[in-house]
Amino acid sequence: MSEFSLYLLQQLINGLTIGSTYALIAIGYTMVYGIIGMINFAHGEIYMIGSYVTFIVIAGLMGMGIASLPILLVIALVVAIFISSTYGWTVERVAYRPLRGTNRLIPLISAIGMSIFLQNFVVLSQGSRDVALPPQITGGWNFGDPSLFEVSLSYMQVLIFAVTFISMTLLTLFISRSRMGRACRACSEDLGMTNLLGIDTNKIIALTFIVGAALAAIAGLLLGLYYGVVNPFVGFIAGLKAFTAAVLGGIGSIPGAMLGGLILGVTEAMTAAFFPSEYKDVVSFGLLVTILLFRPSGLLGKPEVEKV
Amino acid sequence: MNQFRKTLLSLSTAVCIMGLTAAAQAETLKIGLAGPSTGPVAQYGDMQKIGVMAAIDDINKAGGVNGMMLEGVVYDDACDPKQAVAVANKIVNDGITQVVGHLCSSSTEPATDIYDEEGILMITAASTSPSITEKGYKTIFRTIGLDSLQGSMAAEYIMENAKPKRIAIIHDKQQYGEGLATSVRDLLDAQGVKAAMFEGVTPGDKDFSALIAKLKKENVDFVYYGGYHPELGLILRQSAEKGFTAQFMGPEGVVNSDLAKIAGAASEGVLATAPKSFDQNPVNETRVAAIKAKGEDPTGPFVFTAYAAVEVMTDAMAATKSTDAEVLSDYIREHDFDTAIGKVKYDEKGDLTESTFLVYRLHQDGSKTPAE
Repeated sequence: MSEFSLYLLQQLINGLTIGSTYALIAIGYTMVYGIIGMINFAHGEIYMIGSYVTFIVIAGLMGMGIASLPILLVIALVVAIFISSTYGWTVERVAYRPLRGTNRLIPLISAIGMSIFLQNFVVLSQGSRDVALPPQITGGWNFGDPSLFEVSLSYMQVLIFAVTFISMTLLTLFISRSRMGRACRACSEDLGMTNLLGIDTNKIIALTFIVGAALAAIAGLLLGLYYGVVNPFVGFIAGLKAFTAAVLGGIGSIPGAMLGGLILGVTEAMTAAFFPSEYKDVVSFGLLVTILLFRPSGLLGKPEVEKV
Repeated sequence: MNQFRKTLLSLSTAVCIMGLTAAAQAETLKIGLAGPSTGPVAQYGDMQKIGVMAAIDDINKAGGVNGMMLEGVVYDDACDPKQAVAVANKIVNDGITQVVGHLCSSSTEPATDIYDEEGILMITAASTSPSITEKGYKTIFRTIGLDSLQGSMAAEYIMENAKPKRIAIIHDKQQYGEGLATSVRDLLDAQGVKAAMFEGVTPGDKDFSALIAKLKKENVDFVYYGGYHPELGLILRQSAEKGFTAQFMGPEGVVNSDLAKIAGAASEGVLATAPKSFDQNPVNETRVAAIKAKGEDPTGPFVFTAYAAVEVMTDAMAATKSTDAEVLSDYIREHDFDTAIGKVKYDEKGDLTESTFLVYRLHQDGSKTPAE
């Protein structure tokens, strides 16, 4: 392979890695929007909390003398999912449920307020500085001609792909096969009607928040380990990118969020590869605007029909 | 109309009386301390606070200034330009006339307008952007060398000691980082060394894999980074993971023990221009001991520049028997000061006439040694 194609391959790997995690976070936005038509702006903060919990659990367990990596990861994952989901559920219970049925703008403001609250809550309890964790999963494969360009694919990147793929598959199965998943789909089609048919829609909405938060916690764990650094402000940027991914793919559509995340990640990496990297965000948001101009409901989104 | 005048008169009398009583009670002189106590670079604010508080303690122990005891009042600007303006206005409203700060150049700059207009003496112990003193302000000074001096020192070191084959210059698109990066690029350009890359990254970004792949492709063996430690730390960490080994160099914004925490072993051997380690200077032995006795860290790069800022202020106050910013500014411009950072002398703009920087090599335990 030529130097150029090796370089392209490397940037594709970089883009897909970051894109997978955008997709994981984007699903939380898209599921909530699909069911109650509201943007949960506190979702980025849930991701950030997931990262913090991972760091605290791993540091704590290592302090207790547990050094086996798989055990550390599994415990961290379970605890992160549990705590983040609790936050997701609480946020819904405290900030959104009392406002259900009101004007659409009101829960939106409440969501932004929740996001600011959670961010500052973490600043006060954990401090505002970067918290770092030493690399846990090191090494990887190098291939390509070292004299031209050596492509590196780290074990961590492979783990990110694998975990993202597994989570997405499980989610798709859950939504398409399980009873709860069917109820979710029914809710997203017509909330009022589903309620009349005897399904506890409040429960389904709470479940949506919990599932979204769990995926955000997985993303928090993966990205926390990948970058090794977390601070209370990471949720804002990650949330913004994931939200963009969700809109790009068609908000309300789960495959759309996956596709949108990957497209956004690859676009960013490719822009940084061939243009000065300060144009990265310009190009990704430019792409968003262009797609919305031609397909206002996103790549895989269904055009919204006004319900009368 | 008449009634209005009357109220106005009585109001102004009241204000006069209040002013008089305030003056009679003023046994303490408040010094404003503006810098980040929260936010991602809060530890720099801590350094400034440690230095100022140590200076205030020492001066108060020696009987204060002109019979007044000093008191430090901390204001948090979070290194955010908007908040810096709010802080500056608050300082004006609180009636404080001497300020040490702000810290980040981008917050210092908008605040200086307010201080100059309101006749407040401001000495920054950390802001190194040249544009701060370029507007012809009267009451704005620093106790730290300029960005451009750091840039020329870095460029000189690169040309004479590092002699890289291919150099890349990266910055964080902020006033401080981009200013320095541009000055290094121009100086190298003037000597016929062309940078292979000159690019910005977004502050707060976490993923630099695309940038690192590009550096690798360009066969860069030396990277100058203009910016702060959180981004450089991640760039170093991800470079090590991706097998990109080049010599990195940065300004004093990257000199921070958190760099080693973020990058771990990858931070070993990074070069940086930093203020001289004044805590190593035997002259400051008792001061270092006093700071350590309080359980604080005297090694931060801004601790003794902040200490010196207070010294310059109080020396001028003692000599002029005044707290008026105009009088003090005139005195500061015309005299030399003997401070914790050595002899301090100012030029017309309010900048130090001598550089306070040195090239250091950083280590993974967070320490630094002068570079060979």
